Amino acid sequence: MIGIEHYIVVSAILFVLGVLGIFLNRKNIIVILMAIELILLSVNLQLVAFSAFLGDLVGQVFAMFVLTVAAGEAAVGLAILVIYFRGRGTIAVDDVDRLKG
Amino acid sequence: MVDLEQYLPILIFLFVAAALSALFVFLPMGVSRLTGAHKPDAEKLSEYECGFPAFEDPRSQFDVKFYLVAISFLLFDLEASFLFPWAVSLEYTGWTGWSAMVIFLGILAVGLAYEWKMGALDWQ
Amino acid sequence: MIQTLAFYLFAALVIASAVMVIMARNPVHSVLWLILAFFNAAGLMVLVGAEFIAALLLIVYVGAVAVLFLFVVMMLDIDFAELRAGFVKNFPLGIAIALVLAAELIFGIGAYQAGQLELGVASGVAAPALDASNTASIGAVLYRDYVFLFEAAGIILLVAMVGAIVLTHRRTENARGQQDISRQVRRNPDEATVMKQPEVGRGVDL
Repeated sequence: MIGIEHYIVVSAILFVLGVLGIFLNRKNIIVILMAIELILLSVNLQLVAFSAFLGDLVGQVFAMFVLTVAAGEAAVGLAILVIYFRGRGTIAVDDVDRLKG
Repeated sequence: MVDLEQYLPILIFLFVAAALSALFVFLPMGVSRLTGAHKPDAEKLSEYECGFPAFEDPRSQFDVKFYLVAISFLLFDLEASFLFPWAVSLEYTGWTGWSAMVIFLGILAVGLAYEWKMGALDWQ
Repeated sequence: MIQTLAFYLFAALVIASAVMVIMARNPVHSVLWLILAFFNAAGLMVLVGAEFIAALLLIVYVGAVAVLFLFVVMMLDIDFAELRAGFVKNFPLGIAIALVLAAELIFGIGAYQAGQLELGVASGVAAPALDASNTASIGAVLYRDYVFLFEAAGIILLVAMVGAIVLTHRRTENARGQQDISRQVRRNPDEATVMKQPEVGRGVDL
């Protein structure tokens, strides 16, 4: 029988993999953004699992809000990335040390 | 746990769809392999561009215009997905839910008007 | 039985594809593995009865966010080999920190006790509209109890839209000028044409 613990373990592993992705690809903003999406996915999974096992729908409603914020974050983050690349010709995180565009 | 039997038709549909698409992909490959001559060499497999070696990366770059369209799609997609639970639950939420959705749509109509005004929807 | 099997299948696939997302050499492959991860996470959500969120995950993430990532990867001409430079160097430290974090989380789960919470069996429907489907129940909660949060979500979408346009949109003036369709339609013969009756041998003044 699958209980809440199984779901917590899966989403904990997903969360850790997202954090590890930020560590490993710390030069490549695109993969860092994807790792953030993984972290948000693990949070969503957690919210949905608790909502289902507690019999309370609020978790799923909040999963929708997390989804909305994640979409907005991806849109604006990638827009910043695009103009950054346009001005600099690279997306290496190390080069983001000048405030002037 | 949820009773998974209710998803059986979807599973069958998935299998049929996968089988059909695999058939469409692999059947022509198999037939051409069986009926045609198959003698590849390095020259035949190299990319052909009017007789000279390829000049540039085959992965050509996209224009930023596509990115703006994709962002608009993403945001209006989310807006539309908020409409589904609203539409099926109106009998529980009544006028509160209705007016909340009208305000929500109004907010996003402002966004659409802004896009239009800025010319982000023009394809020039 | 079948639920257990499906859970382990989806869980193994979601974790394997998450590993591939952060390990893949080519970001295009990363995006494709991310899509697989989202599919399997949606499967995990269906298993506990959250059908609507699972569908939303596919519609929004696979349909839009992953496409956005693919666009960006293909739009920018980036030397990805150079960006991987620190990968091997950071690997031991990253793994160490990840292991510590994972150990903490797992110990936390081990020490977790439900306390006052009544953990029931996942059925997919809950509180307000017990006879209704998952989607309708979510709607009943969302549009009755969380109306203001919902409007805030609308404002977040608006801000994201405006931000993305301000950041990326460059007004390019067309060489032939902007075409204004409403002006073209508004034109009438009186203001567009002039009737002239030139005398013989004389030109026309325009």
